[in-house]
Amino acid sequence: MTNTRNNSGNPTDDPLSQMLAALPKDVQPERDLWQGIQAEITKTPIVTDSAPVVRFTSSRWFQLAAGVLLVLATSLTTFVITRQSMEKDAAVQMAQQQVPVPTATAPLNAMPVSFGPEALGADYLKARSELDKRFEERIKTLAPSTRAKLERNLADLRHAANEISATLAENPSDPLLQDLLMSTYQRELQLLADVGEVPLSHPVRTDL
Amino acid sequence: MQYGAGANQPVPGDSRTGDPLLSDASLVTAARGGDMRAFERLYRAHSGKVMGLCLRMTRRRDVAEDCVQQTFIRAWRNLQAFEGRSAFGTWLHRIAVNEVLSHGRNHGTRSESNEDAIENAIAEPGDGNKEYDAGEVMDLERALTTLPEGARHVVVLQAVYGYSHEECADMLGIAVGTCKAQLHRGRKLLRERMGLAAEAVDD
Repeated sequence: MTNTRNNSGNPTDDPLSQMLAALPKDVQPERDLWQGIQAEITKTPIVTDSAPVVRFTSSRWFQLAAGVLLVLATSLTTFVITRQSMEKDAAVQMAQQQVPVPTATAPLNAMPVSFGPEALGADYLKARSELDKRFEERIKTLAPSTRAKLERNLADLRHAANEISATLAENPSDPLLQDLLMSTYQRELQLLADVGEVPLSHPVRTDL
Repeated sequence: MQYGAGANQPVPGDSRTGDPLLSDASLVTAARGGDMRAFERLYRAHSGKVMGLCLRMTRRRDVAEDCVQQTFIRAWRNLQAFEGRSAFGTWLHRIAVNEVLSHGRNHGTRSESNEDAIENAIAEPGDGNKEYDAGEVMDLERALTTLPEGARHVVVLQAVYGYSHEECADMLGIAVGTCKAQLHRGRKLLRERMGLAAEAVDD
């Protein structure tokens, strides 16, 4: 979308253009339409974008991805519980002491914490790195268009994971963010594992 | 007529209020994975603007609400086709405009998309809408509702929502020249009906 203009020269001089551009853009529906939308889209299972290249669900790489996910889930849960506990303890301590918090002390919500991959432990990072390496090897064997699509999907997932992670660090008790982060990591690993399954001799796929 | 401030109260069940903000891109990525809660957040973020667009294009709240509903249903079904080349809101608006136009076609709404019809209409300013009484000075929202359909669509998309001639023409499936002519016509009628002085040079 471009900026508002009156298409007849100077956009700031014409009162009619200014009045039109100043009209409120948002008009809330009188009823909540979400219920109807939800009812309708529930009937339509979405086709997810990380379409598998090849699936060997019993293979080593899938097992590795599953193992990594387990580590991830455990780490994330521990992290959330620990952080919530720290916040409660801090709140109780502050209430008991009734003293102002020293200005030099960073508030809890400004702690340099993150739910990003680096916060999830060496085992997770090592396993993810293996999947990533395998992905990089195998994706070279795919057709350029497929490769571009998969790389874009992976970049989207990683961007989303980073943003959700940062937002979750500020709102650690938000269950939606926790779920979104888990499912985003899960989809990232699934994508890495799926592409990792492509044998080096596998014919080039162009249909994805 | 006022669609804005007073009518812009949060709807019941608006869970977005106070929610941590994620970008549309991240919510779209999550929704593509099938997460309906992420899609609901997108709905909460964008439904007001889509409703405003549909309401001003259709002039009827019930029809506009149907269009909004269909817009989000269609968006969910086509999320994989959204490649992020435009903003998610712009993509939604395109779907919404399609819904409005489809509704118009299915319900026999008049559409003026050729130059002759526009020129004739400009030559006969009273041809706008029967709800318009000559001599009445209107507020802007009311004056917008009295515009002929083709001119109203262009004025709403361009002058209110800020789309360019090219974007607007593409959305409405008309030529850029037609779009410019409709804008000229719409602005001329608005000036007349609001009692504003004519533009010295109005393209």
